Amino acid sequence: MKKPGVCVLRTDGINCDEETFYAFEKAGAACSMVHVNQLRSGEEKLSSYHILALPGGFSYGDDVHSGKILAVELTSFLKDQLSAFVDSGKLIIGICNGFQVLVRTGLLPDRKLGEISTTLMFNDSSHFECRWTNLLVEHTNCVFTKNLEGSVISVQVAHGEGKFYTDRDTLQEIENRGQVVFRYVGNDNSPTVLYPANPNGSLNALAGLCDTTGRIMGMMPHPERYVERTQHPNWRRMPGNTVPHGFAIFKNAVAYAREM
Amino acid sequence: MIQEVRVIAKDGIPDSKGEEVLYEINQALGIKSVEKVKTARVFRFEGVQEEQAVLLAEKLLAEDVFEFFSVNKPVFSDAPFVLEVAYKPGVMNPEAASLLKSASDLGINGLLAADSAWQYAFYGHRISQSDIDRIINSLLVNATVEYVVKESPATLLIQGTPGQTTVVPLRDMNDDQLLELSRDKLFLNLQEMKVIQNHFNLLGRDPTDCEIEIIAQTWSEHCGHKTFKAKLIVDGKEKRPLLKRLRDTTEKLGHPLVLSAFVDNSGVMDFYEGMAICGKVETHNSPSAIEPYGGAMTGSGGVFRDIAGTGLGAKVIASTDMFCFAPPDLPETEIPPGCLHPHYLLRRVVAGVRDYGNRMGIPTNNGSVHFHSDFRAKPTVIVGAYGILPAQACRKGQPQPGDLVVAMGGRTGRDGIHGATFSSGEMTDRTIEVNASAVQIGHPIEEKRMFDAILTAREDGLIRAITDCGAGGFASAVGEMGSETGARIALDRAPLKYPGLAPWEILLSESQERMVLAVAPENAGRLFEICRGYNVEATVLGEFTGDGYFSATYHDREVMRLSMEFLHDGLPQRIMKAAWQKPSFAEPEIEPASDWNSLFQRVLSQLNVCSKEPIVRLYDHGVQGTSALPPYAGVNWDGPNDAVILTPLLGRTYGMVISHGLNPVLNQIDPYFGSLWAAAEAVANAVAAGADHREMVLIDNFIWPFPDEELLGALDLAVDACVDFSSATGMPFISGKDSLSSTYRGKDGSVIKIPPVLCVSAFGRIQDVSLTVSTDFKKAGSQIVLVGFRNTAEMAGSVYYQILGYTGNNLPKLNPSLLNEVFTAVHKAAASGILQACHDISEGGLAAALAEMCFGGGLGAKITVPGGEQAEQFFFNETAGCFLAELPAGANPGLIFGQVPCTKIGETIDACEISATRSGDLLFSLRLDDLKQAWQRPMKEVFR
Repeated sequence: MKKPGVCVLRTDGINCDEETFYAFEKAGAACSMVHVNQLRSGEEKLSSYHILALPGGFSYGDDVHSGKILAVELTSFLKDQLSAFVDSGKLIIGICNGFQVLVRTGLLPDRKLGEISTTLMFNDSSHFECRWTNLLVEHTNCVFTKNLEGSVISVQVAHGEGKFYTDRDTLQEIENRGQVVFRYVGNDNSPTVLYPANPNGSLNALAGLCDTTGRIMGMMPHPERYVERTQHPNWRRMPGNTVPHGFAIFKNAVAYAREM
Repeated sequence: MIQEVRVIAKDGIPDSKGEEVLYEINQALGIKSVEKVKTARVFRFEGVQEEQAVLLAEKLLAEDVFEFFSVNKPVFSDAPFVLEVAYKPGVMNPEAASLLKSASDLGINGLLAADSAWQYAFYGHRISQSDIDRIINSLLVNATVEYVVKESPATLLIQGTPGQTTVVPLRDMNDDQLLELSRDKLFLNLQEMKVIQNHFNLLGRDPTDCEIEIIAQTWSEHCGHKTFKAKLIVDGKEKRPLLKRLRDTTEKLGHPLVLSAFVDNSGVMDFYEGMAICGKVETHNSPSAIEPYGGAMTGSGGVFRDIAGTGLGAKVIASTDMFCFAPPDLPETEIPPGCLHPHYLLRRVVAGVRDYGNRMGIPTNNGSVHFHSDFRAKPTVIVGAYGILPAQACRKGQPQPGDLVVAMGGRTGRDGIHGATFSSGEMTDRTIEVNASAVQIGHPIEEKRMFDAILTAREDGLIRAITDCGAGGFASAVGEMGSETGARIALDRAPLKYPGLAPWEILLSESQERMVLAVAPENAGRLFEICRGYNVEATVLGEFTGDGYFSATYHDREVMRLSMEFLHDGLPQRIMKAAWQKPSFAEPEIEPASDWNSLFQRVLSQLNVCSKEPIVRLYDHGVQGTSALPPYAGVNWDGPNDAVILTPLLGRTYGMVISHGLNPVLNQIDPYFGSLWAAAEAVANAVAAGADHREMVLIDNFIWPFPDEELLGALDLAVDACVDFSSATGMPFISGKDSLSSTYRGKDGSVIKIPPVLCVSAFGRIQDVSLTVSTDFKKAGSQIVLVGFRNTAEMAGSVYYQILGYTGNNLPKLNPSLLNEVFTAVHKAAASGILQACHDISEGGLAAALAEMCFGGGLGAKITVPGGEQAEQFFFNETAGCFLAELPAGANPGLIFGQVPCTKIGETIDACEISATRSGDLLFSLRLDDLKQAWQRPMKEVFR
């Protein structure tokens, strides 16, 4: 069976590229590390790939705003390629810094390149936070969470600017259209705005979001850090056959891309 | 004209930075008159028009969703005090490059320079100017690198005329003049100055400033390790130099897994599948003492470059941090002049480690913080880094004549000049003033992309040799790399941050994020292509020669020509006397505890015992996806583990274990047994997690007060302890570092010495991480077993003694041969899979270990104090190399641990309490919630 191609996008300060690469390869994809300079120069083309992965990190030092400099670069130089990629029904996943980039390009929530309607701002705690969180997977048409709907998964967050924020109307629209994919939950598995279960104070406990087609998804937590059993802090307390919670997200993407 | 854009959060949007500053003002400074703080970003652009500034504001600087901007207009009109803080001109602001890049991406032409700053507005009717002055001086502005912007700058461009090379009339100087030249600048003694003078007498000329500076740098204590190489006279008898003792021991052991010891930027050992792992631990005490944020950042950056510069280039996979400070609540009046408050130091050092490691994508996952009031003289900031590389790339090649000297990475500026010599000097009330240029702000993104390029170049076989630019900059990197051949460099070719540097400054600058490579000429083209692809600047500075000289030109004029032999071997060996006198401390009278609840809480909330989780949460300890044993885990994620275990090859079962140990208080009592304790603790931490100490190696870091006869005697004993530990356990030291300047001398003659610190770091390999162990109790009804040799009367230096206000004399006297047996037995138990949980005993004793295992597992414990044991000693003795193990009910501890002492002391229970009985009587029953709260409180208060 032919392996779907994943473009793992790198640039200055991206640092979760290798584990994202690994997660997709493990899920059956053929990955390439692609530097944004190679897309700008024409040496690489987005159209050669089925999935675009924007990994975590601190692109360009997160100067001005997290992910902002890369977002400006993408919307200035790669607008046409990105639009064509999206319009041809291909998949985009943005994790952590990648989510921040997707929001700042306007690809999320509305696939409107260059129009920013939501933001990820400083955590309410005003500091970087690295901890494991529990997420409720909402019932959506999101390609990446097929068959996970209704379950609670455990994944790590590691960010300083992850508070999802927008005006009341936009938030309501996002909710009405069923675009919220993940919410932070407390011990009772219900969504919470309370620290530390909700590590950043996100509105409506939002941890991840997709566009209306379900093919573009961004999330603050790191599913690529939980595709092996021993990556969970408490794997010694868990049954030996526990399936790592982040893995299904990559499997779903690869399975969908195979049908393209 | 300069365009100014200011950006603030819209009304109703939380200003988290403002809230953070307010918290610090109210809590750390105790200034209650400030009721609210609002912040704004300030951006300045030179060379563009107002409409372009508006475009930048809309497209880049402000997001309409939550922000508001103004162009060339103030944003705060209603606050009684508004103040703007910016980096001083010449201090690199990493954000400036991003502003230039994005402007160009947006099609804005003509932008010459950009800068950014923060503006603060303070609200409150009772704020006085003196409040604001304190906020400026103690919180917002570090005058070393920042300033308060009183009026907008006329230009952002830094101009300057290059300084000239001057000749230093050294040959005519008398002793006083030689010493005056050395003072505050060269930090060499008279004998050394005279050796230099004599060398130039023989040459028949005077040295240039370049030459005198590079000799001072190479011969500094920081680079030359004069004390560790000195001939020692201990109590009248000659002993081998300290460094030689350590190296000889390693050589004698001939450990089969060691691939490179002491010769490279880090020590390297074999891993699996053709890969090798390496480790290096550094100190950055002096810069951190005067600019903790920048100092800690550049400390991390430097030790990461040590890893990247190991062999032909390694990937950095872990970062560790070990700090010693004075207590954060020390009264302001006890801080010596010229020193910074420990509360500020602690928070800023943590922020520096956080911002460098997180941005680089290197997990910071092992560390500790120790407190003692004498660290007010100078903090101890230890940063470690670990890496992985192919075993066949673990040795550098020898540069060949004709190979190119290539500088890579960041540009050279005036920052960090005299770092090497400054680190070797003692701290005085003049330190901050005189050495302001010795620290800088790091740029982790520059370093990250440089490492990406290096790893690609290594894969392509383009690197002959590589080393980092650390202390001494180009001088040190090129001088060391070309020591066998000679090298000639053109200083005018070095890319500069701004014009105006004199040749000697280019040579000596310690600007961060630079590496030097030896590259065969035929590989240069491909190397530069790779660098361009990663946005990394690379420049040919010169070439390696065959003439044995280190020479430099500046616009074709020779400014330096020194023989490598004199530079590297001309430093005379010191002869130093050492004699340690055992101090005598008062002994407490122990009365049976009347209130065990309060006693437990006091021990658990003691600063050296309390939870450091709030610090760990600030570090990205999960990036790279390699964690198999994180710093904190358990049912509520808050139980501490002893070591960290990584799986650097994703998808494989192979583990790398990292741990460390130190105990400054014990070193004050007896540096031999204190140092044994540190080594034992380092290894016990790894063994508790299931590691086999026979597959591990060690790294030493000695952080000592200035070594007078007494303290050199202490150092001699500490090194002997390392050698004895190494010989008995078969574990070699393969890397190390000494920093012997942690003494403070005040103008009034006051002297403060830090407690001597030996930090031992340990790392090694584990075949299968599924046979490793965490500390959290797994199940109710399990047996709790105490394993190891201890004499509980040995209580000196314990936390228990400290809270009684005593130090004591009878400290734990470890026997390394017996430790070896215990380590072997505990590892065997872990490898058999029967250990459910295991935790080593350290500060806070059995009590702290037990409580932490309960916190992690959400289970209680019922303990029986063995007959004949004094209960306080039983719970609070801190003998290293002892373990608490959880075994399934019914297992036979004697069969599992063999000849090693092991005692069942109780069992786990499904209740939230720890209780103890002695001779059938209930001693206490304590609620876990109370204990946990006490244990978590101190750092929560410092880190919010």
